[in-house]
Amino acid sequence: MVDGRGGLRPHWRGLLGALTAFGDEGLQARARRLDRAFEEEGVTSVLPGAQADMHAWRCDPIPLLIPQDEFTALEAGLAQRARLLEAILQDIYGKQTLLADGTLPPALVFPNPGFLRPCCGLPPRHLLQLYAADLVRGPDGAWRVLADRTAAAGGLGYARENRRLLGRVLPEAFRTMQVRLLRPFFDVWQDALQRLAPPDPSGRPKANPAVALLTPGTANPQWFEHMYLSRELSCALVEGGDLTVRGGAVFLKTLKGLQQVDVLLRRMDGRMIDPLELEAGSLIGVPGLIDAARGGTVRIANDPGSGVVEAPALAAFLPALCLRLLGERLLTDSVPTLWLGEERARVMVQQDPARWLVRPALDGTVHALAPAVMEPSARQALMARVAARPWEWAASAAVPPSVAPCLTAGGLEPKPVVLRLFLVWDGAGWRAMPGGLARVMEPSGSTAGRPSQAAISKDVWVLTEDRSDIVGPAALIVPPVRLRRATGDLPSRVADNLFWLGRYVERLERAARLVRAAVARLGRGTAVMPHEVTELQALGRCLAEAGVIPPEAAGTAATTTMAEALLSAGRDAGSIGVMFAQVARLTESVRDRLTGDMYATFTQTLRAARADAAAVDRSLDGLSHAMVGIMRFSAAVAGVAAENMVRGGGWMFLDLGRRIERGQAVACEVAFALDQPPQRIDGGLRLVLELCDSAITYRSRYLNVLQPAPVLDLVLADQGNPRGLAFQLAQTHALLDELNGESGARALLAGAAAGLLAEVEALVAGVLAAADQAEAAAALPQRLPAIAAGIAALSDRITRRYFALLPAVQTLGLSGDSGELRGAA
Amino acid sequence: MKYRVGHTTGYAYDEPVDLASHMLHLSPRTLPWQVVTAAQVAVQPPPSRVTEGEDHFGNHVCWVFLDLPHDRFEVTVQAQVEVLFPLPPPAEATPPWEQVAAAARAGGPAAWQAAEFVFDSPMALADAGVGAYAAASFPPGRPVLQGLLELNARIRRDFRFKPGATTVHTAAARVLAQREGVCQDFTHLMIAGLRALGLPARYVSGYLRTRPPPGAPPRRGADQSHAWVGAWLGPEHGWVDLDPTNDLVVRDEHVVLAWGRDYGDISPVRGVILGGGHHTVTVSVDLEPR
Repeated sequence: MVDGRGGLRPHWRGLLGALTAFGDEGLQARARRLDRAFEEEGVTSVLPGAQADMHAWRCDPIPLLIPQDEFTALEAGLAQRARLLEAILQDIYGKQTLLADGTLPPALVFPNPGFLRPCCGLPPRHLLQLYAADLVRGPDGAWRVLADRTAAAGGLGYARENRRLLGRVLPEAFRTMQVRLLRPFFDVWQDALQRLAPPDPSGRPKANPAVALLTPGTANPQWFEHMYLSRELSCALVEGGDLTVRGGAVFLKTLKGLQQVDVLLRRMDGRMIDPLELEAGSLIGVPGLIDAARGGTVRIANDPGSGVVEAPALAAFLPALCLRLLGERLLTDSVPTLWLGEERARVMVQQDPARWLVRPALDGTVHALAPAVMEPSARQALMARVAARPWEWAASAAVPPSVAPCLTAGGLEPKPVVLRLFLVWDGAGWRAMPGGLARVMEPSGSTAGRPSQAAISKDVWVLTEDRSDIVGPAALIVPPVRLRRATGDLPSRVADNLFWLGRYVERLERAARLVRAAVARLGRGTAVMPHEVTELQALGRCLAEAGVIPPEAAGTAATTTMAEALLSAGRDAGSIGVMFAQVARLTESVRDRLTGDMYATFTQTLRAARADAAAVDRSLDGLSHAMVGIMRFSAAVAGVAAENMVRGGGWMFLDLGRRIERGQAVACEVAFALDQPPQRIDGGLRLVLELCDSAITYRSRYLNVLQPAPVLDLVLADQGNPRGLAFQLAQTHALLDELNGESGARALLAGAAAGLLAEVEALVAGVLAAADQAEAAAALPQRLPAIAAGIAALSDRITRRYFALLPAVQTLGLSGDSGELRGAA
Repeated sequence: MKYRVGHTTGYAYDEPVDLASHMLHLSPRTLPWQVVTAAQVAVQPPPSRVTEGEDHFGNHVCWVFLDLPHDRFEVTVQAQVEVLFPLPPPAEATPPWEQVAAAARAGGPAAWQAAEFVFDSPMALADAGVGAYAAASFPPGRPVLQGLLELNARIRRDFRFKPGATTVHTAAARVLAQREGVCQDFTHLMIAGLRALGLPARYVSGYLRTRPPPGAPPRRGADQSHAWVGAWLGPEHGWVDLDPTNDLVVRDEHVVLAWGRDYGDISPVRGVILGGGHHTVTVSVDLEPR
């Protein structure tokens, strides 16, 4: 930010002026708001139970400023570099003349883990679509490339999120500066992805090409970005298991059947995408994907093999390759880099190791080693390793990166930054995003590797004098699309996850209700009343059936045993903790189907409920309080889903899961509660009303008259009672009827739900007609388990019908199990 | 020598396989010294899709896809092949091994393709022990083929042929320690040892004639897929094929299917299946003179 004479570079003045106006404390408050905003958005996985080693994403409120003319020069230099890398890739996966004539040493290509041999046989294509470069600015003010990113070029989602949230927290700063917008770049990218689609059989461009983003899944550290980008680019977010290759084409498995995919935006390691031809052990890939690409029915961007040119040692060859392949002088240099497979380079580094950062020649993700700060013995050991296999090593000059102001606890401080810029190939040329992602390097951190997850990021502002840049280009012209209301293109896996999310939220709520009911009776210590002992036994059986406490703790009459079991269920590793983790995992896996507000509501209430549960130590009171938190979470999920989700496939499966789970629970609980001698049936009826949260309704209908038939009518047969069984079955019937409506195979599943409903109504009618209602009610525990089993069977049928249960994947021929196909086995 | 090749691989699955993709390296490779007059690959049940082509190493590959449930998968190859490898040059006339290693390291017009086979590959990783074992046959300045022939003989002498003692994933270092294995293990061991010295070596898969020529001792590794080593003698002499399992220089008792860096590149039948449960494999190979 400071020019060579120590003066403030002019473009910083406006920003610093705006920032000064906040005052020190004001700025710190903004920074805290920014942190909180990222946490609320769930930019890093902040779900309870998520990996503890994940750091929260942080963005410094002070952006990195780049004036327009400087950006223009950078864009030209990086566009040339992208063209150069493309030309190198074309050669490596094509004629290999660079290897044949000795321009490229074999050691840079053949042992390179990014060199994917099956990609040599793919049809001619542009291999790079997205390219990113990590840059540092030296003391001379020139930007130099630290690393080329051609495999996945990650970070765009984070860059865009930084901008969005910074705009929310620091609107004043944006008003004082003219900052170029990021959105137009995403429009170009989206358009470019669509244009990658192979032409239709008649040779014309596809009208509505299907683009999908291929992710390794929720466990991947970049999951947020994958989810975010799929939304920004309006493409489906898919995992390997969602795709299948049939007849040489790639299809997405949806509720409606198979839908062809034309373009895959690859966000998994290229080696993992096809276990048939690449990494055999990859369970996240799609068998046959390379064959489909070879047949030209699908395009993969970036090409699976594009990572080969990320090799750090390649930088040493770029100036010569640029002249040779493009006939141009390289505009943007790399940080001075040597490949130690060359004798001269090795001698240079061995004579003065402290001047260099030493790193593997082929792996750009590994941090460089700095001999300057090593113990002499460690330095010698490193040099010995280099001498033994020098071609496996590269060295780059240790350049002190220039600094930019960052906000610290003590105010603004200059810190070294690394800048990542992104370019997209639009079919005719390379276009840079006017913005980027800067990472603040801690002084100890080596700049020659992947920035650590813990590094603080910065938004990057490209400044312009010209207002039209900010307005952005006119909207793309898109042909009118067919109206769609149905959601049959919901991927089967998403439907599956929503169904189970519904079930687990309900399971958690049921656990909370049962625990609370039990604690209310245990809480008074030794003064447990006789009728409460009976109730506790029934509750114990319900709790055991719900998997909250072990069955042996349920059967005992000792109240301390049950109290112990309940407290341990509430702990992190206990049964309720496990349910929390399931809900968290499922929420994350359907995150792309939830709006930001919905996701925030789900996760924030879940986190609060979990924090409450974790705070419980030895007190039943605290446990009861924590259960209220769970019920609040469950209510929030229900409310948000009811008010925000379109009544299509996604919502239907979430609701279906909930109905099925609650239906089973009501049937079981009523059975356990009524399992009494007829003369004591009143206690059971009271418990039934309590568990079904129906006591108040009952009182308002029947005042203080407690009789079996009215109670059972309310909790089992009244379709208007959302806590009752009939409601669950009627709603299940309605949902299945609607889902089947789309497939033509009508009424099979819906009919099963209607049948169960009729059975339940008949049970209640039987009690009403009985001469002795109490006796008839006491006989229900023999009949209700069949209803519960019927609901469970229905759930299995739904699973088979909609979720395409996949048998396990096995690899043949390369597995070590049977010694198959081995010499004289 | 003219041969009739028959090779059948059968998989029997305990549970139906819903979807299967297979990559087959089963058609004998056409070479100046190996003429393939007929080669037919038949698959049961009939696949829904078959594509054919060449892999990166120039081997013939057949991809087959089955998308109907099946509980048996069988692939049969029938081929007619005439083979006569050229005689290797006199061993003492070959260049010192260091010179061959240096040529491979330098790459360039005469050596870049051989250089691909000098680097570690996933299934033929050398450790210091494997390197030292091979190095014993390569004192400074020794003509490369002399060293190769000695190593080829030492492996035959030092190792017990013992099916079942190893799996596909047994590392060369482990084979060296236990001194037993099958042809794939000896081939990987020799390849890893040569690469540790900087010498290009490749994995060749194929067949060995079922009955040895009259008067010759019984061979090991017949009746099954066989494997041996291709070793590079430098730009002038090119490649020589050596069978460390039988201490043979390959001439007219072997038929080449494919070559690659190691078994992983050219596994004869590789596949990914959905379902299947437990499975059993049966393999039969015939290589009869005709």
